[in-house]
Amino acid sequence: MIAPPVIEDAELLAFAAEVGPSGPVAVRGGGTQWHVGGAPDHGVREVRAPSGIVEYRPDEMTVCVRAGTTVAELHAVLAEHGQRTALPDGSGPFGSRSSTVGGAIAVGRSPVTRLGNGHIRDAVLQLRYAAADGRLVTAGGPTVKNVTGFDMCRVLVGSLGTLGCIGDAILRTRPKPEHEQWVQLEDAEPQTVLRTARTATAILWDGSVVWARLCGHHVDVEDDLARLPASSAAQPPDLPPYRWSRRPKDLYCLPEETGRFIAEVGVGVVHCERPDPDPPPVAPGVAALNRRVRELFDPDRRFNPGRSVERL
Amino acid sequence: MSESLGLLGLEQAERDSCVACGLCLPHCPTYRVTGADTHSPRGRIALMQVVDEGIAPLTEEIVEAFDSCIQCRACETACPGDVPFGHLMESTKEVVESTRGRAPWWLKLGLRALTRPTLLRIGSSCLAVAQRLRLVPSRRLGLPDRLPLRRRALRATGDDVWLFTGCVMDAWQRDIHLATQEVVEATGTTVRPTGDAAPCCGALHTHAGLGDGARKLAARVMSALDGDNAVLVNSAGCGAALKDYGRLLGSDEARAFSARVFDIHEWLADHIDEMDANPLEPAIAVRVAIQDPCHLRHVQGSHMAVREVLEPFVSEIVELDDEGMCCGAGGAFSLVNPQLALDVRDRKTEAISRSRADVVVSANPGCSMHLAAAGVTVRHPMELIAEALRAR
Amino acid sequence: MKLRRRTRADGAGQRHDPCVAELIRALGADRVRADNAARHLASADASMFIDGAAGPVCFPDSTEHVQAIMGVAARHDRAVLPRGAGTGLSGGAAPLGDPIVVSTTRMNRVLEVDVEDRVAWVQPGVVNLDLTKQVASSGLHFAPDPSSQQVCTIGGNVANNSGGPHCLAYGVTSAHVLAVEVVLSSGEAVVLGGLEAEPSGYDLRGAFVGSEGMFGVTTKIAVRLTPDPESVKTLLLAFDAVSDAAATVGAVIASGSVPAAIEMMDKRCVAAVEDFAHAGYPRDAAAVLLIEVDGPRRGVEAETDKVAEIGRAHGGTVRVAADEQERALLWKGRKSAFGAVARVAPDYYLHDTVVPRSKLVEVLEAVYEIVDRYDLTAVNVFHAGDGNLHPLMAYDSREPGVNERVAAAGREILEVSLAVGGVLSGEHGIGVEKRDFMEYQFTSADLEQQALLRRSFDPHCRLNPGKVLPSAHSCADIASLSAFKADGVWG
Repeated sequence: MIAPPVIEDAELLAFAAEVGPSGPVAVRGGGTQWHVGGAPDHGVREVRAPSGIVEYRPDEMTVCVRAGTTVAELHAVLAEHGQRTALPDGSGPFGSRSSTVGGAIAVGRSPVTRLGNGHIRDAVLQLRYAAADGRLVTAGGPTVKNVTGFDMCRVLVGSLGTLGCIGDAILRTRPKPEHEQWVQLEDAEPQTVLRTARTATAILWDGSVVWARLCGHHVDVEDDLARLPASSAAQPPDLPPYRWSRRPKDLYCLPEETGRFIAEVGVGVVHCERPDPDPPPVAPGVAALNRRVRELFDPDRRFNPGRSVERL
Repeated sequence: MSESLGLLGLEQAERDSCVACGLCLPHCPTYRVTGADTHSPRGRIALMQVVDEGIAPLTEEIVEAFDSCIQCRACETACPGDVPFGHLMESTKEVVESTRGRAPWWLKLGLRALTRPTLLRIGSSCLAVAQRLRLVPSRRLGLPDRLPLRRRALRATGDDVWLFTGCVMDAWQRDIHLATQEVVEATGTTVRPTGDAAPCCGALHTHAGLGDGARKLAARVMSALDGDNAVLVNSAGCGAALKDYGRLLGSDEARAFSARVFDIHEWLADHIDEMDANPLEPAIAVRVAIQDPCHLRHVQGSHMAVREVLEPFVSEIVELDDEGMCCGAGGAFSLVNPQLALDVRDRKTEAISRSRADVVVSANPGCSMHLAAAGVTVRHPMELIAEALRAR
Repeated sequence: MKLRRRTRADGAGQRHDPCVAELIRALGADRVRADNAARHLASADASMFIDGAAGPVCFPDSTEHVQAIMGVAARHDRAVLPRGAGTGLSGGAAPLGDPIVVSTTRMNRVLEVDVEDRVAWVQPGVVNLDLTKQVASSGLHFAPDPSSQQVCTIGGNVANNSGGPHCLAYGVTSAHVLAVEVVLSSGEAVVLGGLEAEPSGYDLRGAFVGSEGMFGVTTKIAVRLTPDPESVKTLLLAFDAVSDAAATVGAVIASGSVPAAIEMMDKRCVAAVEDFAHAGYPRDAAAVLLIEVDGPRRGVEAETDKVAEIGRAHGGTVRVAADEQERALLWKGRKSAFGAVARVAPDYYLHDTVVPRSKLVEVLEAVYEIVDRYDLTAVNVFHAGDGNLHPLMAYDSREPGVNERVAAAGREILEVSLAVGGVLSGEHGIGVEKRDFMEYQFTSADLEQQALLRRSFDPHCRLNPGKVLPSAHSCADIASLSAFKADGVWG
């Protein structure tokens, strides 16, 4: 007979105790994306999630890591076993060396390699977080496949810390490819590159130049290079600060006044110099549902007051 | 194997062998068009179970669930557990028919006529005259556009094999028998058409739940076709019925008879080398789509032989993309359940038009008439082969 | 939870249901079935769990129809249960609380295929494999491929966040759903998620996928279509010992390969499958692995060689499917495995737990031991690559006392799986089957948070009540559920 689970992790319990059952509170990670959804109100008590790797199982391709660990640190450890996660670690054009695992999950923005590596929410297997009443809660589970109960993890990814304070995470890891490189293609149609390149995990486009990140077997990248229009090895471009969300096909009809942009081909994220003047509207029914979720999970609005997923 | 029988007379082991996995659902033509569990093989078996066990009364809705089954037996091909659906349904229908008398009077009358060849031919000729006088809405009744007024005579050329000629097919599609005989003789084999001695196989009777009638006909056919010669059948429905006599009558004699029944394509595939024709000669230039009669594909499993024997004679064979889904004819089904039959046929005619074929072949008279009534050009494979042989 | 048990009762007449007239007015008579035959068939899915009886069965063909049904349900305070093809294995579509059943089988149209953006809008009743067939000419497919993919509906896949062999590399349903239009219990239709890259707000789409019909009724789904791989190779590896097969799985993963699929079948399963599919599976092997590698051509060749080498190093014999026909036949065998078990015994209980890959051998040995001890027949066929076990107990429900033995053995298998760090369900969901085991995996705080999520969507607990959450954590609806007994519609 199995007893109901009990969390005996002292470090996490201490974190939950620090979050406590009342009073406004914000979790500080790397602080690199506090512009997303608005920074927490001034003077709110800040807490920090613990850091460090709890358990790394290269053979299971999972890692349990504290939310306060930087993704860069995590990836350095995983690299010893030729693995990594889909989270942004600042080594590519998106993210910062100081972004934390908890922060990356709470913000929920994938790096430019989403085309090939998937959305970061699909890499999150389990989250342990402090709920609004201060209790420690487990969402999801430790295995690579799991449909036990409702999918709380996906709601927490991108929730900007408004539903719970993430203490640690179990993430799916992926083997690093045998070969990876960025190439720059002049005079290439982004749609053609998307259709042709079989090893591309990212395709960026600024309106004239296409950059592609090719990952995989040496031979497959070679074949791609032979198939694609002439290209040269390159660094990826820097990304402008603002992020627009579009349908992939709408990248080709951005308004004139967009200014300099870098579009993620096949994904639909556009990095721009200015905020989106015309963000996709949110239907009233969906907005109401969003509000209800927040009200039920955090009735006193104590988590990250001033920050909201509705104000992205 | 045989255990105590329930109210529907089903063998418990057979009845309960369904694990309800549902893999049959997409292969069931009626479930496909109505989406109702009551129109699915899994649902029908579940209803047989509750009725047979006395849990549920035989309500009108349950009888309708059974009646709506075309008995195409595609579910059997799909079933990984080998549930003998066709057998269960035939037994069920026999009990339902005997207790509820479901078959309409005109169907019973019609089925009786099938066993009287002279009457059938006279009736058919009357119908043909009426057609020419535009007194009969042929398409609405699912009849061929022009029933034959006169039939060329079938003549025996020897005793190597029997050619089973049957009832409706002989009256309405005798040209197919003549073509079949021509093809068989091209292999150097002599043919004796069965003619009026063995007037009807009884398949439609079995489907309608008229088991006694079917058994009587089986006995008559067997006694007419004695000896050891192969019995060739060019109608998928009849072939399936003749091959099932062993089970239907349960006697050694019947099993021995069934063992010498061959679908014409099955037989021809084994004898095509004996044909005195140069296989390199040009084939007739048609793109042929093959409509597999359910009783060929799902019951006899000899549908691949159709492709094999046709392939040397036509320029191109295309497969329909509906994986052998029933056309909705189902013997007398299209007469009893016209709307369902038309809905099922629509799926088939859509698949045919997607195939962009010049001609559709079907080795079953019911299917070809049902499809012809929708304006599709349907030939029997033997007709195409005979034509190709003549052109050489 | 009750095991399916055939009870004998005298036939009972049609009952009067006050909802029916209103449903007929709203949808038309041909879209409502209130007779016992239809209700009986809507009272079970493909699992062995029955716990109640269905109310009227509706066949809507539009969002408006579903909204109308929800209106009637609200006026009569009735539960609503969405139902696809009824191939679920956890009793998720088994009715509790006399629900109005919303069958999505007539909402079966592919509404729009956008080849450029690789997205299709489909109605929930579209059969999984039919979508793939329909977009095949564009070089695309719908990646989630549960073994029932030729039958199950995409709406059902969304409700259960279905997996399948190929989700090892491609991810489960959630990763392939961009947006869902759902009718909430309020009757309001909302679109969760969107086709744009980063829809704003919480990921309510992600919350909805896998909610087992308890958050709303899906009326439209935008699914991601995946480009077909340039090359596919399927390997069949046969082993003399189950442990060698399991060790091969670990070694393949550890080598840095992520094959598209790694499936395992034990000897008994191979026998049943081979009897049906005649795919050339080796009957004398103790276990076989079906491993598929896909991707760009030359890399696939290299990976195939690598996997074959690892298999041989573990004592396996290796066969690579020579052509598409051989490949299709091998998969046909694998995907018919559950139904093929009908050849072993007339009933089966199919389990679904996930364990760490490194514990596969240990757990498998425990499963055989447990099932033997209860004098049942164990058949094993599962997604070895992600540790998703499907131990299957074959039995004959007519045998006295067998149901209790099956339930007890099932419980022990769960305990073993959880004890090694596994989870209750990998892809079949919780339904009624594992509802009462949720407390083994989650604390009461965890379950309360899940209940909050449900209440955000369905404050009335009208949708598919009584599933997933154990009664202490569910809405107050449970009291009313017990009023309906498991005697079936003729009871």
